[in-house]
Amino acid sequence: MSSPPLFTPIESLGRLSIQGIRTIGRGGVLAAGAVRALRKLEIWWPRLGEHLYAIGVASVPIALFIATFSGIVLALQASYTLTGGIPMYFVGTLVGKTMILELGPVLTGLALSGRVGASIAAELGTMRVTEQIDALEVLSYDPLAYLVVPRMLAGLIMFPIVVLMAITIGIAAGWLTALGTLDMTSPQFVKGITIFFDPFDVRFAIYKSLSFGLVVTGVGSFYGFTTSGGAEGVGVATTRAVVAGSMLILVLDAFWAKVLL
Amino acid sequence: MSIELRDVCKAFGSKEILRGFTLDVQEGKTLSIIGHSGAGKSVTLKHIVGLIRPDSGEVWVDGQNVAGLELDKLYELRRDVGYVFQFAALFDSMTIGENVAMGLRRIPGMYEDEIQVRVRESLSLVDLDGVEDRVPSELSGGMQKRAGLARAIATKPKYLLYDEPTTGLDPLTVTVINRLIVRMSEELGVTGIVVTHDMSSAYEISDEIAMLHEGRIRTRGTVDEIRNTEDRVLRAFIEGRPELLEGT
Repeated sequence: MSSPPLFTPIESLGRLSIQGIRTIGRGGVLAAGAVRALRKLEIWWPRLGEHLYAIGVASVPIALFIATFSGIVLALQASYTLTGGIPMYFVGTLVGKTMILELGPVLTGLALSGRVGASIAAELGTMRVTEQIDALEVLSYDPLAYLVVPRMLAGLIMFPIVVLMAITIGIAAGWLTALGTLDMTSPQFVKGITIFFDPFDVRFAIYKSLSFGLVVTGVGSFYGFTTSGGAEGVGVATTRAVVAGSMLILVLDAFWAKVLL
Repeated sequence: MSIELRDVCKAFGSKEILRGFTLDVQEGKTLSIIGHSGAGKSVTLKHIVGLIRPDSGEVWVDGQNVAGLELDKLYELRRDVGYVFQFAALFDSMTIGENVAMGLRRIPGMYEDEIQVRVRESLSLVDLDGVEDRVPSELSGGMQKRAGLARAIATKPKYLLYDEPTTGLDPLTVTVINRLIVRMSEELGVTGIVVTHDMSSAYEISDEIAMLHEGRIRTRGTVDEIRNTEDRVLRAFIEGRPELLEGT
């Protein structure tokens, strides 16, 4: 017997809540399994290199592309905003602070959520529906050690490196823009960057990117691992990995800002 | 008893697949499990290697209760069990040689030279000499199945589980696969369980045949006993005549 219409939204909310709790629970089980699988060094160590390359090195072009244009736009918008007697060197301050604290880590994280998270979910999802993960288990490989651990470690190691490169290139792009189009000098721009520079800002960016690396690779692995239902299932898993990964990046961004700043 | 399932029940959501499933397989024999699509044949095989745990009941392999084993012990047990997947489940990012070597790399103390020798031997046993450097997508369906079989036998397992080994293959390749299965049993003394709905294959390769119906073994017997069965459900399945089921 169907429920009266009044209860339908409540029912939907309840169903969504249960589904959410179940997803968190299953994610926790996978995370705990991945931590346990860390001791199986002989399985994941030989595979770490290829994932460092796929997750880190291969992501550098897109990360730098985004950072370059973010730096340019930041410099232009800063010069547009800073009027009425505010010194121009504040353009450097704004570009530097924003790239280090926010745009470098977050834009790189979101771009990598699309590139890395989607690719992990699609690859593991395809392996799941074609029974390749079952085959790994039958051949006595812990699939978490073989598939998840090297990817998560690669994310943990490479995200901060890619983010630091993106920050550097973003600031450089802002600097060149300031020199070329805003009638600023290099000493002015450098003064703007250094006057409010705090080494903690860089540590803050590293903490954030470490957490983004774990989340993007972990979420991609989770949705890939729990894929069911053939090609359509792989598509659903990939979409969910990108959406959930991106949302978690923004939540973590706010979390770190509240906790560390 | 080498493999034994005792009163196994398994449901996925509200759908009961196995309902008190009991079966044993004698050492060195090949038993085929036949049954309709979705009857739970593959689920049964996955219970034997611990890929699926029963809701209730027990699965014993080599004197060990699979569901009660810790993960590391389970991985040890799996070294004695080869599994041939329905669609081969070859790792598509690896060459055939690397696929076959995967299980061997988990055997402690095995050197690379030995691994390569064993890879070539295993591929030769399934008549796939010289394909080590090719990737799965370069092989036909039948060759992929044989490569899957080579991967399963490379570790010289005591047990081989075959999930629909001849489905979707042409008659000649079916014959090749059937002969390979018989060879595994006769030459290597492997205990085999074959899940199939291909009756001609089942007759050719089996010492015994068991029919899985409504979550349980409905009938079990030698090839001759199954051929001459009076059981209407089994006759309907063997002869492909659903009208025999009317009134049951």
